[in-house]
Amino acid sequence: MPFNYVGTDHIPVQRKVLGRSIILITSVLLAALFLIQLLYKSDSITFGFENWRPILYMYLLWSAALCWGVLLIKGERGQRVLFVLPAFLFTIAMVIFPLIFSVYISLHDWNLSAFEGQKFSGLDNFRALLGDAYYWNSLLNMVYYLLAIVVEYAIAFGLALLLNAQIVARKFFRVVFLLPLMLSPVAVSWMIGKSLMEYRFGPAAALARQLGWETPAFFSSTEIARISLMILDAWTFIPFMMIMLLAGLQALSKEVNEAAKIDGATGWQHFWKITFPLMLPVSITTTVIRIIFKLKLADIVINVTSGGPGGTTDTVTSFIFREYRDRSNVGYGTMMAVVYLIIIIILMTLLLKQLNRWMQKVT
Amino acid sequence: MEKLMSKKVKMNRRQFVKKASTTVAGASVIAAGSGTGISMFSNSASAAGNVRRDILKIPGVGKGSPTDSDWQKVGAMCLEPTKARVSKGEFNGVELTFMGLNNQNLHNFLFRGFLKPWEKYTGAKIKWIDLAQADYNARLQQSIATGTVDFDILEMGAPFEGDVCGKGLASEMPDWVKDQIDMDDYVGYLKAPVGTWNGKTYRISIDGDCHNFNYRADYFKDSGLAAAWKSEGHKGEWGVPKTWQQVQEVSKFLKGKKDPTFGGDAYGYLDPCKGWGGFGFYFLASRATAYAKHPDDPAWLFDADTMKPRVNNPAWVRAIQDVIDVLPSQPANQLNADPGTTAFQQFLAGTGSMLSWWGDVGSMAKTSDGSVVGDVVGFDILPGSDDVYNSKTGRWDTLSSGPNYAPNMAYIGWGVYVMARVDGNSKKRKAAWSAAAHIGGKDISLWASAYPSGFQPYRNSHFNINEWVAAGYDRAFIKSYLESEANSYNHPNAAIEPRIPGIFQYYSVAEDELSKIFAGKHDAQSGADNIAAAWEKLTDQIGRKKQLQLYRASLGLS
Repeated sequence: MPFNYVGTDHIPVQRKVLGRSIILITSVLLAALFLIQLLYKSDSITFGFENWRPILYMYLLWSAALCWGVLLIKGERGQRVLFVLPAFLFTIAMVIFPLIFSVYISLHDWNLSAFEGQKFSGLDNFRALLGDAYYWNSLLNMVYYLLAIVVEYAIAFGLALLLNAQIVARKFFRVVFLLPLMLSPVAVSWMIGKSLMEYRFGPAAALARQLGWETPAFFSSTEIARISLMILDAWTFIPFMMIMLLAGLQALSKEVNEAAKIDGATGWQHFWKITFPLMLPVSITTTVIRIIFKLKLADIVINVTSGGPGGTTDTVTSFIFREYRDRSNVGYGTMMAVVYLIIIIILMTLLLKQLNRWMQKVT
Repeated sequence: MEKLMSKKVKMNRRQFVKKASTTVAGASVIAAGSGTGISMFSNSASAAGNVRRDILKIPGVGKGSPTDSDWQKVGAMCLEPTKARVSKGEFNGVELTFMGLNNQNLHNFLFRGFLKPWEKYTGAKIKWIDLAQADYNARLQQSIATGTVDFDILEMGAPFEGDVCGKGLASEMPDWVKDQIDMDDYVGYLKAPVGTWNGKTYRISIDGDCHNFNYRADYFKDSGLAAAWKSEGHKGEWGVPKTWQQVQEVSKFLKGKKDPTFGGDAYGYLDPCKGWGGFGFYFLASRATAYAKHPDDPAWLFDADTMKPRVNNPAWVRAIQDVIDVLPSQPANQLNADPGTTAFQQFLAGTGSMLSWWGDVGSMAKTSDGSVVGDVVGFDILPGSDDVYNSKTGRWDTLSSGPNYAPNMAYIGWGVYVMARVDGNSKKRKAAWSAAAHIGGKDISLWASAYPSGFQPYRNSHFNINEWVAAGYDRAFIKSYLESEANSYNHPNAAIEPRIPGIFQYYSVAEDELSKIFAGKHDAQSGADNIAAAWEKLTDQIGRKKQLQLYRASLGLS
């Protein structure tokens, strides 16, 4: 009987033994190689690999062996497991392991220029973070940036309603309004932030002068700089919100709209009592996704203001970027990223729970 | 009409503004300098003069920015020293990786052009890693720390020598390279210990960095401004400031006046207030050195006995306060201006009248399409100060010799280094050093000094004015430029940057804090105290004992 045969009822004992053996041998091999490499890299033994690449190859081999072994041991049930197992192993390699490794690095004092290399420092980086005014400042800035989503949502909803109506060249406008979303934020930084809004020769600055603003410096005073960045970011992402909301509007039942018309509802009543409530699930999904995007805001800030003036436009990500890239402070930079991730997870979990409760109440 | 149109189309921006301006037509208004470091070369002509003369005609001063074909031509014409040491096709099959910068489409872009004829002749192939200035430090630090040096030749500044040479990552320079590039021709401050580590030589210098003082001569010759200066009751004659105290006074005076040549708003000194990956700190240092670098004390950034930062002493705080005081007189967007903005979008484009920068501003003023100030720019060493802070006594001294000058030798120039990973393969090692020697050659470096390249003069032979004049430079202009460079390099009280590991981390931390100070969130003293506290922490993190040892070595102290 071939080894790749999958039976439905009876699986011979020798196949099960073979499957278990394959898994056991490759698991032992993987564990042994990992241990040897760990000891070698910590200077406890004198032999090992130059880098960790062989361990990665061994992990791939072990993953393949595991899948094959499961197939041999469990037969058709194993086939079902195989629908999930490769994805699970991939997630371990690409998400779980880097996360664990990040936590490990964040517990170290590791400046790339330090003569002694990395040193275990426990929670020192966390304690330093608690007293870091720059980190708290950037977190506070994130609150402002998040509040801007309310305005973005209102504009996006308005545009979606407009594009859902029977207006001239509707298809053309749908494509045009989507264009900013197709641009990379880096391109937006340069095209808009550093060219269009350039103080000396930028067309936006020239227009502002025409309108009576004598010194149209969009990124030099603290509040104006923050608002300018919010506008740049909004310009890029409002189309995303708009297209999501537009899809929601198009999926609304026409009967409800027609019934409202027959009952004599005004435009405002129609929107506030019918369209808006019916759009709540889509609105919430759109806003939550937008919040996730916003929490990652960095490219535009890094390119246009470097977080200035005086940290007013700094985001957590742009600060981490500076700490990590310009100061090679790997341990501390990683701690900031880990803490930010935890904050995001908690925030999003609470937000979704609250929204869920509210939705149940409303509906 | 057609002819006129065609002429109009070919006119670049610099030429257009030049023609549009009636006040500067055909006139050189560059003030002649009074330095001494130049004249000794002015009548000398070397045997290799023809190559030097011919390459300086490519493409010709005032004929627009050089292109890749120009760089290749120059590379081909300077190939003789390579041919004398390498036979044709000797490096067939060798592949080298070169890591360098792509700032302003210069650096690696030039090297590619220079090295194409070299590749064709020797048979070697070069792969390129191009990095933006802001990405450079991080990429290099990561390669060093993680042991993943994936390049054979590296363009690097001397401040990183502690990280690279001190960790045994660089290849020692063979003697034949020293002969090929004529190392004795380097200006004094680029000779050992710069480029050496434990007595071994690692660096081919391709640049000699210092900040000089660039000013708009038309401002200081303008009779209207001179009359206004008098009528507003300022002391002394209207002229180019020689001290920072005068820079401050002139900058405030110019607020509300008009640019004498281009007609827009007049501005004085231009301060970059936005960070630039650590490089922005050099510009505060250029303001501070005259206050902080005492002639009797080699140290100016840290205390040489304790490594305690001096960045919050009265000298540095005064420099920071100067920026704060003069900010209202600068363009309205100055808080968001980094050094790239002040040089290329402001000063060279005709905004502002005074600027500290590397020599790029001078070498681009007449040769870059982006410059409109070629005919109205002048140069000097950095301004001095009427008094200088003495860190030992804690008092301000007024020197009997007059104002204290302390040119800032910012970055000590770019160099080319070959990495130790080629040492195991003699053919590859020779190829790498040959490529490095080609781009660091004596003649090719003259061209790079004269045209936009990212590099400034750094050899004694670069200060032969006749060569520059023959290339098309105006004598007064080039004399002023070269003297500002030579007098900075040779200044007895030059402030030389310490070659200690992680130096850009110190600068980067300072940039964040300076941004807060300039935005009005801290006063100068408390902001400077914050910088000092962060620097202390950083020194402890990197290793105080070793840092102190390296700092003292870089100052020439035992």
